[in-house]
Amino acid sequence: MSSMIEIYRASAQRKQRGLLAYIALIAVLVYVAATTTFDGYVTNILMQAVTYSVAVMGLTVVLGLCGQINLAQAAFFGLGAYAVGLGTVDYGLSYWICMGLGLIVVLGFGAFLGTSTIRLGGHYLAMVTISFQQILTLVMINWIPVTHGPDGVSRILKPTLFNTPQSYLAFCVVVLAVVGYLVWQLPSTKLGRAMRAVRDNELAAGVTGIDIQRTKVTAFAICALLGGLGGGLFAGGFSYVSPDQFSFAESIVFLTMVLLGGVASPIGAVIGTGLLILIPEWLRFLKSIPGLYLAIYGLAVILIVLFMPDGIWGFVVQRFKSLRGALRLSAELPELTLVQTQSHADDVLVVDNLAKHFGGLKAVDDISFIVKRGSVHALIGPNGSGKTTTLNVLSGLYTPTAGAVKLDGQDITHFAPHERTASGLGRTFQNIRLFRSMTALENVIIGVERPGNPVDHAPIALEGRARAALNFVGLGDRADELVTSFSYGHQRLIEIARALAGNPTLLLLDEPAAGLNSTEKMELRDLLKRIAAKGLTILIIDHDMTLVSEVAEHITVLNFGRRIADGDPVSVLNHPDVVTAYLGSDANAAH
Amino acid sequence: MTNFTRRSFTSALALGVAAPAFLRNASAQSATIKIGQVVPITGPAAEAGKYAMAGAKIALDEINKKGGILGKQVEIITEDDQTTNPGAVLAFSKLATNPDIVAFVTSIRSTQVHAMAPDIAKIAKPTMFGGTDPTLTKLGNPWLFRCRPNDTFSGKVIAEFGVKELGLKKWGIVHSTDAFGTNGMKALEASLLALGVTPVAIQGYANQSQDFTPVVLALKQAGIDIISSYFTFENDLGIFARQLRQLGVNAPWVGSPSIVNTTAIKLAGAALNNTYGVADYAEESSPEAKAFADTYRAMMKVAPDNQSSWTYDGMNLLAVAINKAGKTDPEAVRAAMLSIKGYKGAEGEYNFDANGDGLHGYNVVKNVGGKIEFAKHIEFPA
Amino acid sequence: MDMVFQLLFQGIGIGSVYALVALGFVLIFRATNVVNFAQGEFSMVAAFLMVIFSVDLEWPYWISFLLSLGGMAIYGALFNLGVYFPLRHRTYLPVIISTIGASILVSNSTLALYGPQPQVLQPLLDFPGFNIGTVYLDAQYLLIIGLTVVLVAFQYWFFEHTLLGKKLQATSQDKEMASLLGIPVATMIMLTFVYSAMIGGLAGILVAPILFVSIHMGGTIALKAFAATIIGGFGDVAGAIIGGLALGVIETFGAAYVSVPYKDGFAFLVLVAFLVFRPQGIFGERVAEKA
Repeated sequence: MSSMIEIYRASAQRKQRGLLAYIALIAVLVYVAATTTFDGYVTNILMQAVTYSVAVMGLTVVLGLCGQINLAQAAFFGLGAYAVGLGTVDYGLSYWICMGLGLIVVLGFGAFLGTSTIRLGGHYLAMVTISFQQILTLVMINWIPVTHGPDGVSRILKPTLFNTPQSYLAFCVVVLAVVGYLVWQLPSTKLGRAMRAVRDNELAAGVTGIDIQRTKVTAFAICALLGGLGGGLFAGGFSYVSPDQFSFAESIVFLTMVLLGGVASPIGAVIGTGLLILIPEWLRFLKSIPGLYLAIYGLAVILIVLFMPDGIWGFVVQRFKSLRGALRLSAELPELTLVQTQSHADDVLVVDNLAKHFGGLKAVDDISFIVKRGSVHALIGPNGSGKTTTLNVLSGLYTPTAGAVKLDGQDITHFAPHERTASGLGRTFQNIRLFRSMTALENVIIGVERPGNPVDHAPIALEGRARAALNFVGLGDRADELVTSFSYGHQRLIEIARALAGNPTLLLLDEPAAGLNSTEKMELRDLLKRIAAKGLTILIIDHDMTLVSEVAEHITVLNFGRRIADGDPVSVLNHPDVVTAYLGSDANAAH
Repeated sequence: MTNFTRRSFTSALALGVAAPAFLRNASAQSATIKIGQVVPITGPAAEAGKYAMAGAKIALDEINKKGGILGKQVEIITEDDQTTNPGAVLAFSKLATNPDIVAFVTSIRSTQVHAMAPDIAKIAKPTMFGGTDPTLTKLGNPWLFRCRPNDTFSGKVIAEFGVKELGLKKWGIVHSTDAFGTNGMKALEASLLALGVTPVAIQGYANQSQDFTPVVLALKQAGIDIISSYFTFENDLGIFARQLRQLGVNAPWVGSPSIVNTTAIKLAGAALNNTYGVADYAEESSPEAKAFADTYRAMMKVAPDNQSSWTYDGMNLLAVAINKAGKTDPEAVRAAMLSIKGYKGAEGEYNFDANGDGLHGYNVVKNVGGKIEFAKHIEFPA
Repeated sequence: MDMVFQLLFQGIGIGSVYALVALGFVLIFRATNVVNFAQGEFSMVAAFLMVIFSVDLEWPYWISFLLSLGGMAIYGALFNLGVYFPLRHRTYLPVIISTIGASILVSNSTLALYGPQPQVLQPLLDFPGFNIGTVYLDAQYLLIIGLTVVLVAFQYWFFEHTLLGKKLQATSQDKEMASLLGIPVATMIMLTFVYSAMIGGLAGILVAPILFVSIHMGGTIALKAFAATIIGGFGDVAGAIIGGLALGVIETFGAAYVSVPYKDGFAFLVLVAFLVFRPQGIFGERVAEKA
C-alpha cells in the first residue's frame, strides 16, 4: 500500500504546484486589471469577455461534461442581470443581496428546465430551451411594470467595495478564476465523472449505479447558476441592461463560443468567448461593405467545426499531447478484495414467474430460476430464445410484464437500473459499453463509486481500489490510457474490472466471449475462474458452450422464451429437449 | 528585460485588443477636426445607417467647403453599432479612445443612447443624438444634445392635429412594444387625455410580426374613427397598412414619423395613401429643408427623411457651436451649444433648452399618392 | 362570428407557411437526424433570387419562378456539400453549429451583396382578394393554402408510389440497411437537401409579397416551423402539416383573444405543453435519440 500512497502523494504535490502557479497567474492578472489604466474601450471589451466567459463555462459543464444541449443560456444570463439591475435600481437592495437572490431564481429555473431532460433528449431538449428563452424575452419586453420593458434598466450600481470600473473588473477576474478552477476540477470529481459517464453512455451509466436524472438536473442547475452569475457581473459592469441583450441570438452566440474554444475545458470557454468578442472588433475594418464581417464570422464558424472538431483548445491539446511523454507510474498494488454483503441467505437471485411481452410477442414467458450464493450460474439458449430480454429485465432496462425478481432477499422488480446497482447488481454488456472519453482507470473508479459499495470512498482509496481491479484483470500497467486505445478483448476486461470494483453481490455477464479470439477466450475463462474462486456469485449468459460448460456449476436453458431445462451441466447438456432444441438446431454455435 | 515595465505590458495588451485603433491614434496628429459617428452598418437597421451617414457626409462637405471648423478641415470617423446595444457601447467606447475626436454624433435609437450614456458621461464630450425617448435629456447627463423633437412633442402634435384639425374623438392607437413604441403610445395617450379624449383601443404588437389581423379586428370592433400608430420597422408598418385596408378600415390615420419615410411608402404602396404623419423632417417645411433635400436627392437618388436630416443638423450644430466657442474644449462647446437660439436646420428651428433638447415642434405631412406634402407645423414653447 | 372566420382564415394562411417550411425541416431531419438551423435562409435566398430575376432583370414571372427554384436546387446541393456532408459521421451537435454558421454566412452575404433595404415582390396573381360576407380572403394566402395541399398530396404520392421516393424513405429509416440494398445513400441525402431547399424556397417566394423580402424574413418563420415540426411529431410529414396549421391558428386566436404582444409566446407554450404531455407529437412515433 505504501507505494500507492507515494504515487498519490506525488501527484497531489504536482496538483498543488499547479494550483500555486494558477493562483500566481491570477494574482498577476488581477493586479494588472486593478492597477492599469485602460481606456474605456479596452475595459468594456475585457468586462464583456470576462462576464461572458463565466456564463460560457456553464455550457462547458452542461454540454461538454454532460452532453446536454442548452439554447437558453442568454435567458439565464439575463435573469441574473435583471436581478442585479432591478434589485439595485428599483428596490435599493445591496448588490450582494441582489446577486444572491438572482442566483436562487436562476437555480430554480435551471433545475426546472433540467427536469425536462428526464423525458427528452437531443433536439427536443433544444426546443424546450428555445421556448424558455423566447418566453422569457417576451416577458422582459412586455411585463413593463416590473422589468421596465424594452427601455431596460439603467444606472445599475456596482458594489460599494468595487466601485470603479477597474476594481470591478479585477473582482470579475477573480470570480472567473474561481469558477474556472472549479470547472477545471469538476471532471475528476464524483459528480463530474457521473456527468461524463452520462454523456458517453447513458445506458452504461445507469447500470454502473449513476442516477442519470439527478446528474442531468444538477448539470443544468450548475449551467444556469453560472449563466446567472455571469449576467449579474455583466449588469454591474455595464450599468445598463435591456431585453435585446439576452435574446435567442445571444444564446446562439454563447453556444458558438463554447464550441469554438472547445467544450472539454474551461480554458476553451475563455478562448472561445475572447475570440468571438474580439473577432468582430478586429474585422471592423471590413465595415465598408455591410454584412461582410458577419459573413466571414459565419464562414469561420463552419471551418472551425469542420477542421477543429474539439475546438481550438482541443486542437492545441492534441498537438501537445504528441510531444509530451505519457507519465508512467508503476506501483505495487494490493490484491483486489471482494467484500460480500452481510446476508448469508443461500439464494442470491430469485427469478419468479418472470414474463416480458412486446405486444403479442412473448419474448420471455413465465421463467423461474434461482442463483445460489457463490455459484457460477449460466443462462443459455439459441438466438432469440429470450436470454438477452431476461437480462435486460433483470438489470432494469425493461419492466417485466409479470413476475418478480429478488436480489439477496430484496424485491427489485420495480427498481430503476441505478437502484438495482445500488442493491448490489453488477453487469457487463454484450456490445461493450465503456465511457469512451475516459481512461481505463476513470471507468473503473466510476465502478468503485457505486452507491452502496462498502469500501472507503476517500479519493486515494477509490483510485487504489480501481487500480487493484485493473491489475486483477491484468491491465494494471495501462490504467492511465484512454479506453479507446485498448483492443476489443481488453475493453471487455475493463468492463469486468469496472463491475468487480463495485463489489457486486451478483455479477451479470452478457455474452462475455462474444467477439473474442480463442486466446482471449482462454484468458477470459481463467479470469472467470479466478473471480469465482473469490466467492463472487456470477450469472453468465452466453451461447458459447465451451466456455459455459467449463465454468458453470449450474445451467438454465431457455428456448422460445420458456425454460426448458435447469440443473447441473452434465444432466442439462444431456437433456433430450436441450439437445434437440439447442444443440440440434444450433450445433455450430460452439465451433 | 528590466525595461519590461507594467506600462509596456499593458500597452502590448491594449495593442493586441485594439490594434487598428491604436495604430490610427499613433499616426494621426490632429491636422483635422475629428467627429465620431456611431451608426448601424450591419443588423436590422443597416439601411437607416446608410442614410444617417449620408446626412452627416453632406453636412461635412458643406462645412469643409466653407473652410471647416476653426480653420481646419473636418473628418468623420464612423463605427458600426451592429444595431445592438452592446454593439453601440463598444462602438462608442472605441471612438472614445481616440483623443482627437472632439464630439460625437450617435444613434437615432433611444435604447442605444441609454446604453451609451454612462460612457458618454465618462468621456465628457458633446454628443448629438436622435433618439426621441423624453427621459434621455433628463438623465442628468450634461453632454447629450437632441437633434430631433422628443416623443412628448410627437404625441402632443398627433393629438392636437387629430382632435382639433380633424375633429375626431374615437382614437385607436397601435404601437410596437419596444421602447420607442411604448413611450410614444404613453405620450400620445397623455396628450389625448389632456384634450379630454380617452382612446377606445390601444394595441401593442411585438416587432417582426407576420400578421396583424387580430390588431385590425380589435380596432374595427372598438369602432374607432381615427388611427394613430408608433411603428419601429417599416416592414411591420407595410404589412399592417395593407391588412388594415383589406379588412375595410379606412379611417384617417395619423402616424409617427416612420409612416412617411421612404422605405415604408415603397413597401406599403397605395395602402398608405392619404395618411398623415408627424415628421420632424418635411421637405417643404422650410427653405433649409428644401435645400438639404435637393443636395441629398442628387447624391442618394432617393428622397431624404429624418434618418439623414438629424445627422445633417447634428454635424452643422457642432460646427456652429465649436466656431462660436472658438476652441474644442468640451465645456466651452457645451456652453456654446446651449446658447444656440433660432438656428434654422433641416429639421426646424433649434432653440436649445437647459436639458439639451433642440427642437420643440413637429410638422404634419400628408401622403398623397406616394408623394409627401407638407400640411402644417405645430410648435410648442421651449 | 365573422371575426372568428377571419381569424381562422388568417391562421390557416400563416400556418400553411409554417407547414411548408416545416416540411423541408422534416425531410432533412429524417434523412440525416439533424435539425437544420439554416432552413429559414432557404426561403430568404429564394425570395432574393425572385427579386433579382423578376424585379431587377424584369424577366417574366414564370421564368423567374422556375429559375429561382432551379437556383434553390443548386443551393441545396451546395449546402449539403459544404455544411452537412463533411460532418456526416459526427454527432448532431457539430452539424447544428455548422448550420448556424451557414445561417449567419448566408444572410450576411446577402446583406453584403444586396444591401439592407427590404424589397417588394409582386404577387403571382393580379387581383388582391375578395370578400365573402365581411370575411376578406387574401388571394396570396389562398394560393399558399392551395399549394400546400397540392404539395402534400404530391409528397405522399412521391414517397409511397415512386421508386425514388421509396429509396429516399429507406435511406431515412436505416442508412446501413439501405446501402446494403445497393441504394446510393450519399446521393439520396443530396436529393433530400435539394428537395428541401426547393420547398423552403417555394415558401419564401409565396410569402414574399406579403411579408416583403428582407434578410430577416426566414428567421422567425423557421423557428415557428421547427416548433410545428415537434408539435406534429418529428419525422412525420402529415404531422408537420397539422402542426404548422395548428400553430398558425392557435397564435392568431391567442393574439386576438388573449394578448397581441405575447403572440409568439403562445406557440412556444403550446410546444412546451406538447413536449411535457405528449412528446411523440400529434402523430409520430417518438424518434429514439441516443444521448
